[in-house]
Parts: sequence; structure tokens; C-alpha cells
Amino acid sequence: MKKFLIIGGCVAVTVLAVSCSDRNPGRAYMPDMTYSRAYETYAPVQDRLNASGAESEPSFHGGPVPGTVARGELTGYKLLKDTAGAYATSAALVNPVTDVDQKEAERLYLINCGICHGAKLDGQGPLWKDGNGPYPVAPKNLMGDDMKGTSIGTIYHVATYGKGQMGSYASQLTTKQRWMVAAYIKAKQGGGSAAATAKSDSTGAKAPQTAAADTTAKAATK
Amino acid sequence: MIPCKPTATKLKLFILSFVVVFAFKSVSAQDGKALFQAKCQSCHNIFKDLTGPALGGLEERHKWADHNELKAWINNPGGYMAKDAYTQGLKAKYGSVMTSFPDVTLPEVTAIVDYINKTYAAGPGGPKGPGDDTVSSNAPDKSQNAVIFGVISLILAIIALVLMQVNSNLKKMSDDAEGIDRPEPVAFYRNKVYIAMFAIVFFIIGGYFTTKGMIGLQRQTNYHPEQPIFFSHKVHAGINQINCLYCHGNAWESKSAAIPSTNVCMNCHKAIQSYEKGPELFDGETKIDGTAEIAKLYKYAGFDPKNAAAWDPSKAKPIEWNKVHNLPDHVFFSHAQHVKAGNVQCQTCHGEVTSMNTIQQFSELSMGWCVNCHRQTKVQFNYDSTSGNKFYSIYEKFHNDIKSGKMDSVTVKDIGGLECQKCHY
Repeated sequence: MKKFLIIGGCVAVTVLAVSCSDRNPGRAYMPDMTYSRAYETYAPVQDRLNASGAESEPSFHGGPVPGTVARGELTGYKLLKDTAGAYATSAALVNPVTDVDQKEAERLYLINCGICHGAKLDGQGPLWKDGNGPYPVAPKNLMGDDMKGTSIGTIYHVATYGKGQMGSYASQLTTKQRWMVAAYIKAKQGGGSAAATAKSDSTGAKAPQTAAADTTAKAATK
Repeated sequence: MIPCKPTATKLKLFILSFVVVFAFKSVSAQDGKALFQAKCQSCHNIFKDLTGPALGGLEERHKWADHNELKAWINNPGGYMAKDAYTQGLKAKYGSVMTSFPDVTLPEVTAIVDYINKTYAAGPGGPKGPGDDTVSSNAPDKSQNAVIFGVISLILAIIALVLMQVNSNLKKMSDDAEGIDRPEPVAFYRNKVYIAMFAIVFFIIGGYFTTKGMIGLQRQTNYHPEQPIFFSHKVHAGINQINCLYCHGNAWESKSAAIPSTNVCMNCHKAIQSYEKGPELFDGETKIDGTAEIAKLYKYAGFDPKNAAAWDPSKAKPIEWNKVHNLPDHVFFSHAQHVKAGNVQCQTCHGEVTSMNTIQQFSELSMGWCVNCHRQTKVQFNYDSTSGNKFYSIYEKFHNDIKSGKMDSVTVKDIGGLECQKCHY
């Protein structure tokens, strides 16, 4: 009888040890091989910080290390949002990306822009749907005449810094990707080649010194 | 003829006034909504302050009851503002001046105001969406089934035991009647046959559960921890059709599928400040107030809906979500290689996320699960691309073998998918 008790007890303990609720991540065979000593992306860091006596909140820095440029990144876009008349001067920017892969640009547009501006660029994305979606204001109809007259540089500027209710997409799309999306929109609007549109736009307004230098630098890196 | 002339003039006047009134009426009746949609609603909502102030009840503010004043403001906001303190205050509050609409006419202004007043009087409820279908994130069916089966088996076992006792008693009575003398039967708990049977059954069942439990150590299927904000993938990715890569864009080009930073949430939630049109949300039994959950986001973002223009995205704090899908440290996994190169759909591993209110682990994420998929998945080669990946020359051999008919397809295994170092290194 005693033997049975011992065996039964062992089994019960094992079952208790391995059973876990769905709210709990459970246990690991070999914790030292499972949990990284180094900081892993999105892994919980709080306990380690507390143990090491470091600051109690994980440090967070939104931007890259000052003075560094990401690999493959086009050089900096110096026309800042708070530059006087930045929105107007952005019209003179020239697209430095000469070989836009329209298929990839379409993919980027559908993921990042189509949700509001619609797959057909008509401002009827799933978030708006003529006011039936959850979004309280109408996204811009990119096929409207005013948008057809807007230059590729301005579209790029708005994608970078946002406008009205639209937020900045600089954290989701790289500089090159934003130019690609702007070129895709122009190509869809005109039905013609994006490069031609960009050229005709840039002749209209006079570029300020910084923006011109900036765009030539970008063209050179390309 | 002469007496007729005044009548004709009157008639002309009447017709003219009729035409004017009719034209005016038709503007107000049909075009108020269209005009509002075309010109105003990119920045204005009737009930909420967004890029510009809420337009409901605008005639009670400033001098807007006089539509000539309103028209002057709409036609040339910059010029109007120069000599008007109220609109200067608006600029200070919202951080920008309204776009000018120089060709808006007085009847059009009246039509827009009529439309706004009508909609405002109807209240923000307006046309309701399908709000009555309720969804729970729990599925208790499976566990209930298990309980029912357990009870039934127990009852059957008791019946079997009782019948066995009855059987032995009847046998004893018949033996007594026939006068056969048999030894006293042993009680069932001392009967060696019973004990042996019990031990065997116990070891089979116990062994099964113990082994299963040991294998299941660290496997987290259905794991769904509590999150700092009740974020429903069903509402975002399902009902509102937001692409997975809108928020988790890094899955395309990096090892990790990014958890979006707070500013990505705010791309939409700067404007969507309340949860109104979706279905009711439940976390188990608890009803979730969507608007309160959005308010939690604002706390992290440092966003004040009443003073939206003052929001500084760089001051936002990250939300500390709890990681659901945990791979052990000794396994390497790259999203980019699977999503971009392998062209695997997110749902293949993560399940129907578009119907999950609470995100939970769908796949086992065990080694057997990985290896099975690598055994079966056929690699999609891009024959026509001139800029393709030339890294593995073995691919060329495979191409030629397929063309010449030596092979019919290439599995992940053939290109090193079962090499230990693919995951353990």
C-alpha cells in the first residue's frame, strides 16, 4: 500500500508541475538554454534590470544614434516640418529614385496607404467607406484634381511628416520607400511615367538652396 | 394688349423668383451633404474636434449665424483672421489656419450649414452599425465535453463494479443451494487479478499523461497572457482589414516582426478616439469598454484629445506588451526568410488572427512542427528573374534536374532545411 502511495504521489506532482493555464507561459526543461542572457528583441527585461540594480525602466530611444546612417539609406532629408513654408517648397523636390519598381511600390501603397486612401486611390479605404468605417474624417481622394496637381515632392513631404489627421510614415517606410510610394501615386494619377511627372513639377517652383542641395546629394548617392 | 403688360412682367418676375428659389432649394436639399464631404470633412467632424473644430452647433459660436461672415471666413481665412480675434484664437488652439475655399458661394454655405444642423440634431448615434453581435474570446466547448465524458466513464465503471458484486453474490447463493462448498471469496481490493489489472491501467493512463506533460513542457499553444491594453486583432485586422504588415512591417525585412511603436497606433487613433461601430468585446466574461482602452493608449502616447495640436510624438512611451510567441534561445528564427523569401502567409503559423479578440499562440512552435513544414513545403523558384539570388549554386542544378525530368519538385529539406545548424548554432 505504501508503494502505491509513493507512486501515486510522484505522478500527481508531475501532473501538477506540467499543467499550466493559458495565461501562463509554463516551464522550461533547461532555463539556461531557453532564456537568453543577452537582450533579445521584445523579451521581458524588467527582472534582469531590477537584479542588476540598473534603472527600473527600460531605456528607450526613438531615433538612431546621432551621426549614423542606416545601410542603404538615402542621405538625410533636410527639409524639416517646421522649416518656414516647408509644405510649399516641398513641391520643388525631385524624386532621387530613378528606377521605381512599380510592383513593390504598389505593395507598399496597399499595406500602408490603402487602408485609408483606398486601393483605387479614391479615398474610400476600409477605415472610411463613405463614413461607415471607424475613421471620423474623410481621407484625401488621391484621384481628385487638386491631388493630380500636387507634385511628387509634396506627396513625399506629407508621407514623411503627415498632414491634418495623417501621421508621419517615416517610421514605417524608409526614405526610398516613401519616394517609391509617391511615384506610384503619381503614376496611377497620370497613368504615365512617374519620372516625367516629377520633372514637369520641379520646373514650376523655384527650389530653395537646402532642398536643391539635398536632392542632388540624394541623386548622387543613388 | 396694353393691360396685359404688367401681368406679363409680374409673370416673368414670378417665374424668375421661382427659378431662384427652386435653384436655392435644390442646392440646400441635395448638395449640402456632397459639399460637406467634398470640402469640409477632410479636417472637420460634426461631433469631434479634429484637425479643425467640431462643426455641430457652429451657428451659436462667434458670428457664424450670419452666413455672410461665415462665407467671408471660408473664402479667405488668412484675410479674415487678420482683423478678427476669435479666429486668431482658433489658430492658436488648432495650430494651423483653415484651407481657403475662394469659390464657395453663399447658397452653398447655407446648404452646408443646413446639412450640419440636421446631422447634429440627429445626434452622434446616427446610422448605427451592426453593434449587436457579441463575440467572446473563450471557447469552453472542448473542456465541457471532457467533463461529460469523464462523468459517463465513472458512472459506467461504478455500474460494472456493482454488477460484478451482484454476480459473485448470485454465484455464492447458487453454490449454497447446490451444496457445493467453496472457499470464502476474497474482497475485490485484495483480489490479485483486480490489483494487477488496476496497476496496468494506472500505468498506461498515468504514463500517457506524464509523457504528454513532459513533452508539453515549454510548449505554449493557446498561451494568451494579459496585455496592458485589450487590443483586439479581430477589430483591427479582421473588421477593419488593416494589413498585418501595416503594424508588423519588419516581418518583411527582419528577424523579428515588429511590435508597432506608439506613433503607429496614433496614426489612426489620433482621430479614432472612441470605440463605437464595432461589435461588443468580451475578455472571458468581462465586457470591455473599447473607448477606455483607447484612453489607455493616449496615456502611453502622452496625447490629450482635448488639446490635440500640442501632442509631441517624441515624448510617447512604449507600451510594454507581453510577448506571446517565445522560442527558446537555442533556436534561430527569421521572419524575413519565411515571409519574403519563402512567401509563407502569416496565418499559416499564427492561425486566424483576424478572428482573435485576444491574440493567442496557434501553433505548437515545437521542433517537430517546424521540421514537418520544412519537409513538405515546396520552394518557389523564380526562374525568370535575372536579379535572383545566385548564392546557392545547388539551385541551378535543381533547376536543370527539374527541366530534364530527374526531379519533380524541391523541398526545403533539399536546400538545407534539415541541417542542425539552420536553427541551432
